[in-house]
Amino acid sequence: MSVRVNTELKEELKRFGVNEWNECFHCGSCTATCPLTEENHLFPRKAMRYVQMGLKKKVVTNVDPWLCYYCGDCTTTCPRDANPGEFMMSMRRYLTSVYDWTGLSKLFYTSKIWEFVFVILFALAVILSFILFGPAVDKTLTAQGGVKLNEFAPISIIEIGDWTMAVIVAFLLISNIFNMFYKIVLSDKKVKVPFISYFIEIRQLIIHYSTQSRLLKCKKNRSFWVGHWLLMTGYTIMFIVVVVYLPWFQTEEVHSFYHPQRLLGYYATFGILFGLSVAIIGRLRKKEEKFKFSHMSDWLFIIMLYLVTLSGILIHIFRINGMPMATYYSYVAHMAILVPMIMIEVPFSKWSHLAYRPFAIYFSRLRRAGIRKQNIKINQLATA
Amino acid sequence: MKEPRIGVFVCWCGTNIASVIDVEKVAEEIGTLPNVVISKTYKYMCSDPGQEIIMKEIKENNLNRVVVAACSPRIHELTFRKVLENSGINGYLFEMANIREQVSWVHKDKEEATKKAKALIVGAINKVSFHESLEKRFVDINPATLVIGGGIAGISAALQLADAGQKVFIVEKNENIGGHVANIDLMFPYLFSAKQLIEPKIQKVKNHENIELFLNTQIDEVSGYVGNFESFINNGNGTKKELKFGNIVLATGLKTYDPSGIPEYKYNELPDVITSYEFEKMLINGKIQTKTGKKPKNIVIIHCVGSRDEDIHTYCSRTCCMTALKYANQVRSALPKSNIFEAYSDMRAFGKGCEEFYTRSSKKNIMFLMFDQKDGKPEIREANKNDDCSMIVEMNEKLSGEQIEIPADMVILMTAMEAQNDVKDIGHAVGVSICGSSFFIEKHPKLDPIATTTDGVFVVGSCQAPKDIPDSITQAEAASARILSSISKGRVQVEVTTAEVNEEICCGCQTCIKVCPYTAISFDEEKNVSVVNEVLCKGCGTCGSACPTGAIKCRHFTDVQILSQIEGLLSKSLSTSTMEEK
Repeated sequence: MSVRVNTELKEELKRFGVNEWNECFHCGSCTATCPLTEENHLFPRKAMRYVQMGLKKKVVTNVDPWLCYYCGDCTTTCPRDANPGEFMMSMRRYLTSVYDWTGLSKLFYTSKIWEFVFVILFALAVILSFILFGPAVDKTLTAQGGVKLNEFAPISIIEIGDWTMAVIVAFLLISNIFNMFYKIVLSDKKVKVPFISYFIEIRQLIIHYSTQSRLLKCKKNRSFWVGHWLLMTGYTIMFIVVVVYLPWFQTEEVHSFYHPQRLLGYYATFGILFGLSVAIIGRLRKKEEKFKFSHMSDWLFIIMLYLVTLSGILIHIFRINGMPMATYYSYVAHMAILVPMIMIEVPFSKWSHLAYRPFAIYFSRLRRAGIRKQNIKINQLATA
Repeated sequence: MKEPRIGVFVCWCGTNIASVIDVEKVAEEIGTLPNVVISKTYKYMCSDPGQEIIMKEIKENNLNRVVVAACSPRIHELTFRKVLENSGINGYLFEMANIREQVSWVHKDKEEATKKAKALIVGAINKVSFHESLEKRFVDINPATLVIGGGIAGISAALQLADAGQKVFIVEKNENIGGHVANIDLMFPYLFSAKQLIEPKIQKVKNHENIELFLNTQIDEVSGYVGNFESFINNGNGTKKELKFGNIVLATGLKTYDPSGIPEYKYNELPDVITSYEFEKMLINGKIQTKTGKKPKNIVIIHCVGSRDEDIHTYCSRTCCMTALKYANQVRSALPKSNIFEAYSDMRAFGKGCEEFYTRSSKKNIMFLMFDQKDGKPEIREANKNDDCSMIVEMNEKLSGEQIEIPADMVILMTAMEAQNDVKDIGHAVGVSICGSSFFIEKHPKLDPIATTTDGVFVVGSCQAPKDIPDSITQAEAASARILSSISKGRVQVEVTTAEVNEEICCGCQTCIKVCPYTAISFDEEKNVSVVNEVLCKGCGTCGSACPTGAIKCRHFTDVQILSQIEGLLSKSLSTSTMEEK
């Protein structure tokens, strides 16, 4: 089956990042130096060729960009300065927009204005709902100098908000993952995945989600892995605590320093701040290849998460020091950044890689199992 | 014949020879042979001090023959002949034994190598004993030149010669001069107008007092030799004219390959599959359009049509890659919104300014797609009704490994350059052979690229191999410089080691005429004997070995010389044990 070339795809992709890839003359140095490329997943050169030729079908069904962890060795070796590393990054942005069936992802990636408009809309909605439906901040809330957070923001109501948001985001993300699954695995009619593999390979999905061990295969990423892993575990802990165990986490009573509630919170905060600092310093210094080019979406994600964390810390400080008004204001601010961050970043933007990366490994393992089964069949036919 | 007094000089060639062969021992033993008056060694025989040793020994020992055992005669035979002449001896009373290429460079065993070197020297001594003095011969030069072909190469050569005040005849088979350059719109890589280049030259040729132009004319046959050629030209109406000239410039140029023989490209079947030649015409006329008069949206340019193809021409036509890029540039200017696809095998941008041209072009949103003719050619087919293009080019793209489809409304085939149909006749007429690809063969591909094996005949431009405009002009002007140098000498030296026929013995069998590769032997019907034209003869010796009666003697390689050399090579007379063992 032949694929039609397309002169427009290249132009479309330029909006998702840098566009030096037309310089590539296919020496293959990038693939040769890449520590992660392997049989059936030859990147980044091959994907660059698909883009140069505008083979859209090949581009959107390609899993390779997710298997790249951007150490930047390819870019430093490239004799043509075609920047294959950043190309893979741009491809991840593009693929995120391809998996998203709502079209919002594409809108956010390619237009600064729309992304800001949505952030501000969500933030305003949060602030407005506090003003309209929140309790009046009167003496009962501030009396005796105590902070009555659970009266200001009753857990039952916040939980409803949490779960609603979780359901919406989960629905969007899962449907996008299914879209990804369709493109990478199902659309290739030649590869039939054995049913049992779907279960066997789940192990890989869990391992890679929780360890990100693939990052360690790139020498240059080893120190980055520490920050990234702390950030990921911190974020995951915070997410679970806030969505599932909110009554345990948001208490009026100030527990002792050694209480697990506080320890977990401190760990999560430290992890997120540490990981973010690595990214922020890296992106400002622009020394490592992976941090040299920052797309608007990269900065927006970092800044929002940073502000969420910062406002969270403020809530905590004000609360344990018994400063009610300051606590309430920072609580609103915290929510006004957190909600748009979750709603925009998780299903439509950079944050979605927390799902796409481990699933990409899962899907590529499924494909491999399918190909292996097929080869066995072919061999059997050949020997018969 | 005077008693031979032979001097033998063995060269060390630094360590090249001396590290394998025991040169001192060789010289010592050779010195004991009869007729060898002196036998010496020296580090570099070809150096000035080395040459002085030979001269000194010739004078002091009254030598009349010299053997130098050193490198190949190809390198230094002329050097040492000159040494002899400077010492008052005929240069042909000299023989070289090649103990470097034939011995020290190819053998490891020192003892065996020394033995072999001695044998070669003994052979040379035996041969030189029978050498005869030969006198140099010269012929006068007719200063007029015949230029065959009036393209850019022919015109350039003619103008150089004519401007230098020499008579030039241009014979052109078409009704115009200017050749292919006159049919080109812009030239790569700088996109200058070809018309502005060629038109003033055409006018200059037409009005030049020293140039006689014959249009619609072909040459019938050429006879004679360097300096004194004669030919009849024929203008098609049966009128013949005789021309006399001293040199010939072959500039018959090229023709373009007809791609109808390639089924994949459907040339002549699909109306909008056109050749580069036809597209060039379109550009000259200023309108890029399909057969139905529409502006093409998708233009596919296919490279290597007939070139680098095992079934058609294996060579590269050299100009098509850059011409294809030129088309892409011209299309981009004329139709800025069109999609341009270059289906190429390898992008060859070797000329001055060409790589830069490629770099500039690659930024003009042109899609480059690579194919390998070995994996099959791109295939053109008519598009379906629901496609928004009129044709589809399907090919195996090499860099991605994918089978792809390219939409097309116009396909330009970059057709190969190939030799003219009549090269065999022309080559036969002037005595120049053609290679497997039907291009004229030069004397030496690297060291003598415009001369031919027939003295006085030069081959320039695309009739020698595919070439671009600057290369053609360079060759043409180089040839005219060679011709002017021989004209200014007034005479040319011709080979003296030629064959001669002993008419007493010749039986008139004409075997020699059949085997002579230079058509230098003719037959004298009256005397019933073969006659060697000593100007055309190169002294290859083919006739001498073929002659059944021994009537042909090849000077400097006579039977007695060769046989005595062989005798020397196999001689047991050398008073060493090593030779006894053989």
